[in-house]
Parts: sequence; structure tokens; C-alpha cells
Amino acid sequence: MIEVEDLRKHFGAVRALDGVSLSVAAGEVVCLIGPSGSGKSTLLRCVNFLEEPTSGVVRVGGQRVGWHDRDGTPRRVSGRELARTRAEIGMVFQHFYLWPHMIALENVIEGLVTVKGMAVGEAAAKGRALLTKVGLADKMEAYPEHLSGGQRQRVALARALAMEPRVMLFDEPTSSLDPELVGEVLRVMERVAADGMTMLVATHEMGFARKVAHRVAFLDQGRILEMGTPDDVFGRPRHERLRRFLDQVLA
Amino acid sequence: MHLDFGVAWKFLPILLHASLLTIALFVLSQVLGTLAAFFVALARMSPRAWLRRPAAAYIWVVRGTPLLLHLFFVYYAAPAIGITLDAFPAAIIAMSASAAAYNAEIIRAGLQAVHRGQLEAAHAVGMTYGQVVRRIVLPQAVRIVVPPYMGNAISHCKNSSLASVITVPELMLTAQMIYSSTYRAIEILTVTGLIYLVLTSCLSALQMYLEHVTTYERRGLGGARRRRLRLDTPVPMTPAS
Repeated sequence: MIEVEDLRKHFGAVRALDGVSLSVAAGEVVCLIGPSGSGKSTLLRCVNFLEEPTSGVVRVGGQRVGWHDRDGTPRRVSGRELARTRAEIGMVFQHFYLWPHMIALENVIEGLVTVKGMAVGEAAAKGRALLTKVGLADKMEAYPEHLSGGQRQRVALARALAMEPRVMLFDEPTSSLDPELVGEVLRVMERVAADGMTMLVATHEMGFARKVAHRVAFLDQGRILEMGTPDDVFGRPRHERLRRFLDQVLA
Repeated sequence: MHLDFGVAWKFLPILLHASLLTIALFVLSQVLGTLAAFFVALARMSPRAWLRRPAAAYIWVVRGTPLLLHLFFVYYAAPAIGITLDAFPAAIIAMSASAAAYNAEIIRAGLQAVHRGQLEAAHAVGMTYGQVVRRIVLPQAVRIVVPPYMGNAISHCKNSSLASVITVPELMLTAQMIYSSTYRAIEILTVTGLIYLVLTSCLSALQMYLEHVTTYERRGLGGARRRRLRLDTPVPMTPAS
């Protein structure tokens, strides 16, 4: 469902991604772990072209992101086409990025109404069902500033789910939450995974990776150093760097 | 000292008539200046240097020199290039140019105050650039811009009195003409001041109204918005997905 081939992203002299290849099958959950600055976020942001890769290819659902090669020579897609591709890729951010001038329900249905052209009433019915599903039936009318971090992130999850994306990207979805609010977000993510969503998750929550991920990739200095089942990566780490990283985060 | 407000009363209709010209000067130059300011602000934020640099230079020069000078400049310089301008259009040009420079910076501040992450989130759900600007940036920029914009509008309204020096017969010039023939400066200036105060008070009231309608968070949702979102009908029990 997601294919990444030899992806590179350089910021000046910094090689944020230095040749990453990865494929995620339909319904698979892959967790990206690794120290800050190892390239996890950059990888996710390249998948939906929020960041333009320096080189390499990204495909989602068999379709190349950001480029098309209909007549042999690859060309950059137009803004409109890129938007259409992005509508099929859900993304959840570390800092939520809800739109503060809209209530929770409006945040959830904004994409349906503006991007998909759905009628507001129909979209609202769908949005309310989704907010109920993430446990926020009583917060539909709340503005983001009146919600806790965990509630905001669940609204952001519902916003991404509303678009019925083919894949979902999570960029450290619990890293800016108070410890006691992490669980409520992870539980919703677990349920999304159980529903068969294809997920690529950058996270520091090793418990979640171990329990929910089908595979775990350890990134270090812009490369995937080690990838395997959670049992392999956490139980039998092969590289010294990964062992040191796990000692630090699990201590 | 003997004050005679009877004189002021007698000339009040003339002063009120002159204040119509003050209002016209202010409203026309404010509207033209705001429209131009929007484009100057966009140019000022452009990644393209050939747009950004001239916009920055324009703002720098116009904000850095007095409006009084602009008025004289347009009025006296225009004939030098073969255009003879009446006082009123000359004043409109100078005042619009001034408003454009100030409002450009105010609009730019509003547009830039919307967090980049919110724009990324909008792009991530599949919005195009135009949709992001319309649905995410403008609604938030407007409320950020209202207080500084209206504050500047009040200054601009009072600055229209400077047009008196290039013989636009607006409120200030009319007042001067009346008291120089009646020698009732205190009375005429007092009444003139009150008229300016009424005009700027209207703008303050407009500002309060605009701030009120753009801070709906604290007042809850309006009825139309509630109905559109069907917030008062029960939640369906089956999940949509």
C-alpha cells in the first residue's frame, strides 16, 4: 500500500533521509522508532509530500506521490492533483494542528465539505458518529482551546478518519501529551489498527509498537538500521545503536 | 472671556456639510488603501525577490515620510508630469497610498499569525492552496487584524484634516474659514472637535462590533450554524465507518 524506494531528503548539508526503502502492506501497521532527528518525521512528511524529497520514489496505493509519468517522462503534478492524492492519505500530527476557529465537529467535517463537496448535514451526521467512536460524543461543540491534549488528538484522529483514507500517517501522536492522557489516544489508535487500517506510525511508545505493530523499523541518521517483527527488534536487537537506544527509552 | 456658541450653532449646517467631504475622503481612501494593501502584503511575503523588494521599499518610504508631504507632493508634482489634479483627487491618491502602506503591514501580520502547522493539516486533508486561504487563513486573520486595523483607520480618519492644506474644503478647512471671518475660534474649534469625536466614536463602535462577531468562541454557536450542523437532533448510534 505504501512503497518507499531509496528516499533521500537533504536540508543543505544535513541528510535527514539518506536512502530509505520501505514497504507497508495493506492493513499492516509499521512503527518507526529511533532518536530525535533520526528522520522519522521527515519520512512521514515525504510520504504525503508536505516535504519534497530530494530524490527517491514514494507510492501510495500504487500511485506515485507528487509526480506522474503518464507519457513516459516524470513530471510534477499540479497542486490540484497533489491535493487529491493527499485526500487519500490521513495524517495525525504531534501538535494536533486543529483549526482553532472551528468547533470539534467542524474540524472533523471540514475535509468532507470543502474537499469532497459533501452536504454539511450529511457530513455532520458522519462526523458525529466518528466523534462518538473516539469517545467525544459530549465534546462536539467544544472549540479546540477548551479541550485537553488527549481530546484534541482524538479530534485530529477523527478528522483524518473522516476522509476514509487508504493509509494513515502518525507523526509522534502522543509525544506532546501529558503522561496520563497518552493511553486514551493509543487506545483509539489500536482500534483503528484493528479495523484494518494501513498505518505508518512514528512513536516513542515502545509498548504500543510492541503490542500493535506488525513490523518495527529503527531509524538512525536518516537510514533504516534494523527492521523486523516487534519480537525481533525489541527481543533480539542486532545493532549496538539499537540496543543503546532501547536501554535509554526503556530505562 | 465671553463665549458665544450661538455663532457655532449658526454655522453648524455648514460644518456638517463639510464633514460629508471628510467622510468621503476617509472612506474612499480607506477602501482603496485596503484593497491595495492586500496586494502589497502578499507581494511583501512572496518568496520572489522581484515582488518582495519593491513592496518592502514602498512600505519603508511611505511609512517613513509624513502624509503632509505626500499631499503636497501629489498636488504639486502631478502638473510637472503633465497631469493637473484637483485638490480632492490629489488628496485621495496621497491618502490611499498612505493607507496602503500602513494596512499592508497590519494585513501581513494577520496572515502570518496563522500557524504553519494548521496550513499543513489543511493540505494533508487534501485542500488546495485557495481552499486553505479561504477556509483556514482568512477567518483567523480577520479577527487578528481587526483591532490594529481599526486603530489605524481612526488615525487615518483624523489625518484627513491634513487635506485642508491643499485646499480640500473638508471639515478642518471649513472651520478655519469660519473662525477667521467670525473670530470665534474657540467655539468653532470646539464644535469641530466634537464632530471629529462623533466620527471616530462611530469607528470605535464598529471595532467593538467586529471584535464581538469574530470572537464567537465565548458566545457559543449561532442558531443558523447549529441547524446546519444538525446539532439538536440525536446522534445516530451506528458508527459511519
